[in-house]
Amino acid sequence: MTELPHLREVFELLRSGHHLSPEDEPAFSAVASRHDDYAAYFAPLGLRLVRHPQDFFYFEPEGGETMPQTLPRIAVFAYILIDHAANAGRVIEDYVFNTTFLLDRLPHFSLDRYAALLRQVEVDDLGGLRLIVKSMERLGWVKFTGEDEFRFLRPIHRVFDKCLELARRSGTGTQLESSGESPANP
Amino acid sequence: MRIPPQTFFHFCAAHVPLLRALAEVPAELSEAEVRRHIRAAAGPEDELPETTWRRLNELQILVPVEPGSDFYFVADPVRRVVAYLFDEAQPTTPEIIRGYLQSLDALDRRLARAIEGDDLTTVRLALEEIQQTLRRIAADLDETHRCILAEVARYKAERQAVSVREKFRRIVHWMERYVDPMVDILRPDGPLRAAFIETDRLLRRARENGLFNDLPALDRNSRLLRWVERHALRVFRQCRLELQPLYESLRRASFMAAGAAAALDRLARDGPDRWAPEHVLQVCALRWQHVPSDAALDRALRNVAEHPPEPAPVLAFPDEDPAPAAYQRRLWLEGLPEAVGPVLPVDDLLGWLVGRNPRPNTADTLAGFSHLVFHPVFRARFTEAPVARYPTADGELEAPPVRLSAS
Repeated sequence: MTELPHLREVFELLRSGHHLSPEDEPAFSAVASRHDDYAAYFAPLGLRLVRHPQDFFYFEPEGGETMPQTLPRIAVFAYILIDHAANAGRVIEDYVFNTTFLLDRLPHFSLDRYAALLRQVEVDDLGGLRLIVKSMERLGWVKFTGEDEFRFLRPIHRVFDKCLELARRSGTGTQLESSGESPANP
Repeated sequence: MRIPPQTFFHFCAAHVPLLRALAEVPAELSEAEVRRHIRAAAGPEDELPETTWRRLNELQILVPVEPGSDFYFVADPVRRVVAYLFDEAQPTTPEIIRGYLQSLDALDRRLARAIEGDDLTTVRLALEEIQQTLRRIAADLDETHRCILAEVARYKAERQAVSVREKFRRIVHWMERYVDPMVDILRPDGPLRAAFIETDRLLRRARENGLFNDLPALDRNSRLLRWVERHALRVFRQCRLELQPLYESLRRASFMAAGAAAALDRLARDGPDRWAPEHVLQVCALRWQHVPSDAALDRALRNVAEHPPEPAPVLAFPDEDPAPAAYQRRLWLEGLPEAVGPVLPVDDLLGWLVGRNPRPNTADTLAGFSHLVFHPVFRARFTEAPVARYPTADGELEAPPVRLSAS
């Protein structure tokens, strides 16, 4: 195996939970062009490099790891956004990827129900939302385009996959399964 | 009742918005609803609403649901004319298409008997009816196609109006009601193909074996038959092409929404601790722990090996503090009965107390005095001696002498 380019940078990003997408050049191109080599390099270390069908990369998380507090907050944040988009009649992926979001215009405190759900994970105000979005930026799921503006990046597809998985588990998505569509199968 | 066409069309021409509004209501209309529509559509130059209401009934534009009923529907011919004029299509259900095919089957049987019996009139009539049925099939399929285009356009125009799940249900309705069942009808071994093959066979038979000699009519029917078959397939494919992408995207969005809603619902019910393991997306987070380098290990070992001996630590034991003053006072007080016992009786108790070494202060003198006076083994009483003065370490007391004796 010839030397892998940007190996240190790739590893430093992936090990912290970052997802490599086209925003992470040159690391993304390096991994995209030689995914198998990188995967083989990391495999003996017990690290599985996943290539998502939507073409981004991440290390498969190990089960049983201690869950950082930010992850439940990110999950609640994302589920609320999806719920809001669906109730507003938006096609969710279209809405998420084609919208530039302003922090103070987010729908998360527009309903008491949403605010109560956020309180469950100790998020009470706009400052809390900002911290969540910052955490998502560290994971490579969003990119700030201004002080209070951000847009979602490709790796947010993992949240969509999770939603489809939950729908299938709850029985709502049986049609989805029977028609052959399934969440990303990394 | 026969309706004069001129009167009918005059009325229609003067009430186009009203007729359109009434025709757009799919359900029955109450009299009140009709009158509301009349008022809404009336202009300043128009006749009185009551006149309009009466004319609608006289011209049989509105027909009561049943004799004497207060509910009305727009007569079917009027509805069809309005739909035609405004290009408002009605979708054709698979049942209607199946009805046409059954009709075609019956016509085929009649045609077969007529060819067999050289009944030229019946052959001609059957051919005309076949042609009419084929045109209706084509027209109805076109209308379905237009309906689907309108539905897709409406969906795109109403982006914010209804939820994703509601939109998905609408698209599913169109797919399941109008498009998917057509697969069974249009497939190569389906009833449409079978009916058309039979009709085509009979047309050829009429041309080759019968006495019917209007060959151009037979040709027209054959061409129409082939065209309708191709047209049906094309329209069906177009309908699918229009709806399928919407169906797919909405289905995915709908399931996503269902998943997110289920997750939020569980969070509200179970709280974050029970909820998190199943619903939170995990990410990799390696905790970075460096392996000590050889140089570090070498240095650590050298530090241990070369560590200079140190003398054992000496604990500092400070000299004991003198007993606290309060404690010493307590000891002095409790020692008084024992001290006074051998010298009893004492004629002047205060004099005895201030005469002790070291001389107590005023407070201690009085405390000792009280302790002995109220002690259960002694008895105290005032004497007849005059008041005396008793110097203490910090002052002076003046009192009559008290005699203390054993009780």
